[in-house]
Amino acid sequence: MGRLSDRNRFYGLIIALCAAGYIWLFLGMQADGFSPEGRQELPGVCIFKHATTIPCPSCGSTRSVLHILHGDFRGGLYWNPLGFILLVGLIIAPVWIAHDLLRRKNSLHISFRRMEIWLRKWWVALPAIVLVLANWVWNLVKGY
Amino acid sequence: MDENKVDLFLMTKGKYFRSEHLMQIRDRLRRREDSDMGLLHALQLHDPTLLLIVSILVGHFGIDRFMIGDTGLGVLKLITCGGLGIWTVVDWFLIMGLTRDKNMERLQTFIY
Repeated sequence: MGRLSDRNRFYGLIIALCAAGYIWLFLGMQADGFSPEGRQELPGVCIFKHATTIPCPSCGSTRSVLHILHGDFRGGLYWNPLGFILLVGLIIAPVWIAHDLLRRKNSLHISFRRMEIWLRKWWVALPAIVLVLANWVWNLVKGY
Repeated sequence: MDENKVDLFLMTKGKYFRSEHLMQIRDRLRRREDSDMGLLHALQLHDPTLLLIVSILVGHFGIDRFMIGDTGLGVLKLITCGGLGIWTVVDWFLIMGLTRDKNMERLQTFIY
């Protein structure tokens, strides 16, 4: 029972994240005639940037995803490489959850737990931390 | 375990757990041997107040989630810009309860 509620809570969180992501992307596309620069018209959601004026490691992700959606992969990579991961997640997660709910499985939750254990290994965690920090430094250099 | 030692533990670490669990913890600890006290102090328990401060200051990067052991959710929080800022704010209100639950999970491995 505990594991099931754990799964449901996790799926609820992922659905909420995806819904927020799609709404935010839709607003970004509408703000300026569905162009990648539409994001400029929206107020920023980054609390860290509002508080410190310093961009966070994931700042620029919305612009990145909008560029990728317009086929500009180079632009997507420039604004924030995390945009690729987020877009893949936004596409795969709802399909995976729908599959799990229809088949009454919890394969996404199990895979997430496995990934979590894998991420705790130092030889995975260390390069991941270095990459995130490098991306952050790049964001600072770009100076949003 | 000696009653005074258990009470001392609950006086110093009581705020690390939900109040409804304290009586259960007290009963369980009293059934343990005195020699287990060292193991009990070796448990890595997190201070909910410290986690609240971490959550307010750097929760946007998922550091609070990393600290309580939710590595995957920490990564998600980090790459989604704190869940578009919403998750960051929600966690300011949830993190103390979550920390107490994680502390209870750790203690359960010891007392059961």
